[in-house]
Amino acid sequence: MSLRPYLTAFGLQWKIGLRYRIAVVAGLVAQMWFGAVTLMAYASVYHAAPDVQAPLSLRQAMTYTWIQQSLFTLLPLGCLPAIGDAARTGAIVYDLMRPVDMWNWWLSASLARLLGNAVPRAVLLACVAGPLAMLVGLGAWSLAGPASLISAALALLSITLGALLSATIVMWWNILTARTLSPLGSYAVGTPLAVLLSGMLLPLPLYPDWIRPFLLAQPFAGITDIPIRIYLGTPIPGGVTTGLGLQIFWLTALTFLGRLWMRQTVNRLEVQGA
Amino acid sequence: MQTPPSRSDAITVSSLRKTYRIREGGSWRGKTRDIVALDGISFSVPKGQIAGFIGPNGAGKSTAIKILSGILRPTSGEVQVNGLVPWTNRIAHVARIGVVFGQRTQLWWDLSVSEGLALLRDIYGVEPERFARNRARLADALDLGEIMDQSVRQLSLGQRMRAEIAASLIHDPDILILDEPTIGLDAPSKLAVRAFVHELCRDRGTTVLLTTHDMHDIEALAERVIVIGHGRILADSPFEDLRTTTLSERILELDFHDTPPALTLPAGAHETARELHSLTITFDPRQIPAPALVAHIGHLPGLDDLRISRPSIDEIITRFYADHAA
Repeated sequence: MSLRPYLTAFGLQWKIGLRYRIAVVAGLVAQMWFGAVTLMAYASVYHAAPDVQAPLSLRQAMTYTWIQQSLFTLLPLGCLPAIGDAARTGAIVYDLMRPVDMWNWWLSASLARLLGNAVPRAVLLACVAGPLAMLVGLGAWSLAGPASLISAALALLSITLGALLSATIVMWWNILTARTLSPLGSYAVGTPLAVLLSGMLLPLPLYPDWIRPFLLAQPFAGITDIPIRIYLGTPIPGGVTTGLGLQIFWLTALTFLGRLWMRQTVNRLEVQGA
Repeated sequence: MQTPPSRSDAITVSSLRKTYRIREGGSWRGKTRDIVALDGISFSVPKGQIAGFIGPNGAGKSTAIKILSGILRPTSGEVQVNGLVPWTNRIAHVARIGVVFGQRTQLWWDLSVSEGLALLRDIYGVEPERFARNRARLADALDLGEIMDQSVRQLSLGQRMRAEIAASLIHDPDILILDEPTIGLDAPSKLAVRAFVHELCRDRGTTVLLTTHDMHDIEALAERVIVIGHGRILADSPFEDLRTTTLSERILELDFHDTPPALTLPAGAHETARELHSLTITFDPRQIPAPALVAHIGHLPGLDDLRISRPSIDEIITRFYADHAA
C-alpha cells in the first residue's frame, strides 16, 4: 500500500486551510476579543474571592484561556467541509469509487484541514498574547511560558495526539454526514459538544470537584485540555502518564469503533444507493 | 455459473436484479415495501464497443450504472467487468474504470483543473511519465489549455464537463462509463464531447457505456443501443434496427402555390395534414417505395416543392417507449 494518496489528501487540505488568510486575521481578532473578555471575568472573580483555593491560579487560568483560544480551530466542530459539500451535491459517490482506504483518505484530509486552520492562528496568537503583550507592558495578562522544558516537550507530544484525536472525532462527523447526506447534523451535534467538553467554554479544571473526573475521562478532554495541563504543569489525577494514556485510549477506541461504523455505513450506501 | 464470459467481452451482466426497500409513511416504524429497480437483466459489451444504454426516467439505468461502477451491490445476479466482480473487488475494479456522472463533479471546487488532475494521479498511482503523456494528450484533445490553471468553481458547464472527462481518463481505464455526459451543454460542447468519445474508442479501443436522454448522442456514437424499461431490457440492437421495427414510416411534404388539390393515394400512404398551401403525407416504404409514390403524385398542378423526411430519433424513441408502456 502506498502512502502517496494520503499524503496528497493531507497536502491538499492543508493548502485549502491556508488559503483563507483573511479568515485567519478575522479569527485572530475574534479570539483576542473573547480571550480578553474571559480574562477580565477571571480577574474580577479571582480578586473578589481571594481566599478560595482554586485548582488553577489566575495566571494559569489566563494562560489556559490563551492556549484554548489559539487552538479553537483545532476542535472537531463538524465534518470536513469538502465531505459536507460532496454529501449535499451527491459527489460523495466518487469518494466510494477511489482505489483507496476511505478511512485513511478522509482522516488525512480532516487532520490537514484542522492543522491548516489551527497552526497559523496558534502561532500568531501565541506571538501576540505572549512576547508582544509583555513588550507593551501587559505582562500580567499574557500567555505564560511552560512549567519546564520537560513539560514543554510532553505538551508537544500531547497536542500531537490531541490533533489526531480531534481528526478522529471529525471522522465520526464525516460518517454522520455520509449517512444523513447533510453536514448540518454534524455541526449541530459537534459544535456544542466540542466547545463545552474540550474546556473552551470554561477550563475543565475549574468545574466542581464531583464532575471533574468524568470531564477528564471523556474524549474531548484529550484534544486541548490534557496538553494544556501538561504545559502548565498542573497536576492530572494519575499524572502525565494517565493524561497521555487517556489520549491513546480514546484514539484507539474511536478509530476501531469508527472504522466499524464506517464499514456499516458504506455497506448501507452500497445497498440503498447514495 | 452460466456460460463463461467470452474473452473479448469487457462487461458481462447476467440475471441482474436489484430491489430497494423503502419505508412508507415517513415514520421509522412504518411499513416497508420493496421496489424492483432491475428485474433480471442480461447483456454483454465486447471490448472496444460504444454501447448506448437508454430508457425513460426511473427505468433502472442509474441503478445498473452504479452496480457496474462498484458502488451499489445487487440483490442477485452476476456481473464481470474486466473479469472482476465490481462489488467484491472494489479497489482493484475502480482502478481500471473511469466514470463521469454528468450531474456531479469529481474535481475539487477549490482546486485548479491541473491540481485536481495531479491529485488523481496520486490516488490512482499513475507514474509521472505516463501522467505527463496522458495529461498532454487529454489537454490537447479536450482543449483544456486555457482552463488548466483556473479553479473548477470558475469554469462554465461545458468547460467543466471537458475537465471531468479528462479526470476520468487520467489513469488509462479500459472502460469508460458516461452517465449523461452532455446534460446541459450547448451545441458546440456537445459536439466536442461526442467527437472526443468517438476518437477515444477508435484510437485506444476503450469500451464505452453511455447513458443519456439526448438521442443525438446515441445516434452519433452508439453502435448499439440497449433500451431498458421497468427494470427489463426491452431492446438490444443497432439503432437502425430499432428504427425499422418501431417507426419505419416516412413523411412526404408537398408545397403548393394554391390550395392543394384532392388526391387519391396508393395503399400504404395517407394524408396526415392539410393546410392552406401544403399537404403532409405519411407512407410506409415497405408498401409503397418513395420513388413510386413520387411518380404517382407526378405533375400535380400547382406543386412547388416536395420533401421526404424520416421521423426524428426522438419521435422513434418516444414511440418505442409508448409501445412498451415504458
